[in-house]
Amino acid sequence: MLQKLSASISRWALSAYFYLIVFYLIFPVLIIFPISLSNNTFLRFPPSNFGIRWYQTFVNDPAWMEATILSFSVAISVSILATVIGTMAVLALERRKLRFSNLLSYFMSSPLLIPHIFIALGVLIFTISLGVENSIFALIGAHTAIAIPYVVLIVGASHRQLDLTLERAARVLGAGPIRAFFAAAFPSLLPSVVAAAVFAFFVSFDELVIAQFLMNGRETLPMRIWADLRLELRPTIAAVSSLLIILTTVAMLLAELLRRRTASLTST
Amino acid sequence: MIWPALILLFMFILAPAIEIFRASIFDPEFTTEHINRIFGRDIYLTILWRTIKVSLVVSVLCAVIAYPVAYFIVKRPRQQQFAFLFLIFVPMWMNILIRTYAWMVVLGREGIINSTMIALGLIDESIQMLFTSGAVYVSMIQILLPIQIVTCYSAMTEIDFDLVRAARILGASPAQALRRVFLPLSLDGTITGMIIVFMLSMGFFITPALVGGPTDLMLANLIEMQVEQLNWGFAATIAILLFTSTLLFVLVIRSLSKMLTKFLGGGNL
Repeated sequence: MLQKLSASISRWALSAYFYLIVFYLIFPVLIIFPISLSNNTFLRFPPSNFGIRWYQTFVNDPAWMEATILSFSVAISVSILATVIGTMAVLALERRKLRFSNLLSYFMSSPLLIPHIFIALGVLIFTISLGVENSIFALIGAHTAIAIPYVVLIVGASHRQLDLTLERAARVLGAGPIRAFFAAAFPSLLPSVVAAAVFAFFVSFDELVIAQFLMNGRETLPMRIWADLRLELRPTIAAVSSLLIILTTVAMLLAELLRRRTASLTST
Repeated sequence: MIWPALILLFMFILAPAIEIFRASIFDPEFTTEHINRIFGRDIYLTILWRTIKVSLVVSVLCAVIAYPVAYFIVKRPRQQQFAFLFLIFVPMWMNILIRTYAWMVVLGREGIINSTMIALGLIDESIQMLFTSGAVYVSMIQILLPIQIVTCYSAMTEIDFDLVRAARILGASPAQALRRVFLPLSLDGTITGMIIVFMLSMGFFITPALVGGPTDLMLANLIEMQVEQLNWGFAATIAILLFTSTLLFVLVIRSLSKMLTKFLGGGNL
C-alpha cells in the first residue's frame, strides 16, 4: 500500500518535472508573439496597445527586406547543393566498397563538431590569401560544407533501411544503373531527401558567425537581427522573430514527419 | 560520386583549418609573437579558463537536468513518444539568435520577470538580471538542453527494459534496479550528449555577447573582436587555443566517464 503510494507520487513528480522543463524551454519563445503585436515604441511588458505596426515596419524597411531576400537566396542555393552533393556521397559510401570508408564517414561529419567561429575564421583567412574575399560564393560554399553532415546522416539512415531487391530486379530486366536507381530506389528515398533539404536550408538560413565574417557590406537576415540586438531592443525584432518561429516550426515539423514516415514505412 | 563532397569539405573545412595553423605562426615570417602574447597577459588565459568553466558547468547541468526528462519520455507508450519529443524539438529547431533575444525580453530591466514582480509588489525596483553570468548560464542551458535530452533519449530507447524487470524479479527494489541496471546502461548516451554539449558551448558566441556582461565574454567573442581589429594572426592563435583545449577536455571527460562506468558496473550493491 505504502509502496504503491510512493510509486504514484514519484510518477506524478516526474511528469510535473517534465512539464516544468518544457515550460522553461518553450515559454521564452512564446512570449515573443504578444510583444510582436504591441504598438508601443519601446519594448515593454505587458504591451499597452495592440496592432501590427512592427510587422509593417519590417515589410516596409528596405534593409530588412534585402536581408531577407539575401538569406532566402543563399539558403535555397545551399539546400539544393548540399542535398545533391550529400545524397551522392551517401550512395557512394553505402554502395561501393570504398577504401577507408569509415574514415570518410568521420570526415563527412567533422563539420558538426568544429565550432562555426573556427570555420568562419579559417574561410576568411583562406579567401584573403587567395584574394577572393567578400564573395557570396564563399558563403554558399561554407554553408554547404556545414550542411552536408545533416544530409549524409538523414539520407544515410534512410538508405540503410532500403530494400535493394527491387532495384536489382530492374537491373536484371535491362534498365541501366541510373534508370534503375531513379525508378526503383529513389521514390522510397525521396521523403528523407526532402527532409534533408529542409534541414540544410535552415542550417544556412539561421547561421550568423560565418556570414558575419565573410560578408562585407551586404547583410543576411541573422546579421541584420544581430546588428539590431546589439544596438537596441526594438519590437521589429519581435515581429521578425515571430514570423521565423512559425516558418521554422511548420517546415521542420513537416521534415520530421517525412523522415519518420520513411523510417516506419521501410521497417514494417 | 563522393568527390564533390570531398572537394567541398577540403576547400571549406580542411584547407581553412590548415590556413589557421599557418596564420598563427607565420606572419608572414615564422613568429611566436602571437603565442607569447597569449601567455604574456593574464586576460587571455582568464578568458580561456572561463570558457572551459562555463562549458563544463553547462554540460554537467544539462546532463543532470535532461536525464529525468529523457527517462519520462522513454517510459511513455511508443505512439505517445513523438508527441512528447515534439515539445523538445520545437525549441531545439529555433534560431539561437531568437532564443537569446527571448531571454533578453524575459530578463531585461523592463522585462517580464521584473515587471511582473513589480506589479505584484514583490520588489520596488528592477533587479539586474540581464548582462550577468547567471543570465548566460540560464540561456545557454535552455539552448543546449534539447540536444542533451534527445541524445539521452535515443540512447535509452536501445535499452532492453526486460533487464530492469529481471532485476526486480530477482529481488532488487525499484531504486536498486534503476541504479544498478538502468543507470549504467544509459550512461554512455548521457556522456555522448555531455561531450556534444561541451563542444558546442566551447564555441558559443551569440549568447555571452548579448545576455552576459563585459566579464562574461568567451573565447569565440575574443576571436570576433580580434577579427574586427583585423588581427587575423592573433585571432587564429586563439582559435587554435580553443580547438586544442576543447579536444583536451573531451578526452578528459571520456576517460573520467570510463572510470565512472567501471565504478557503477562493478562493486557491491
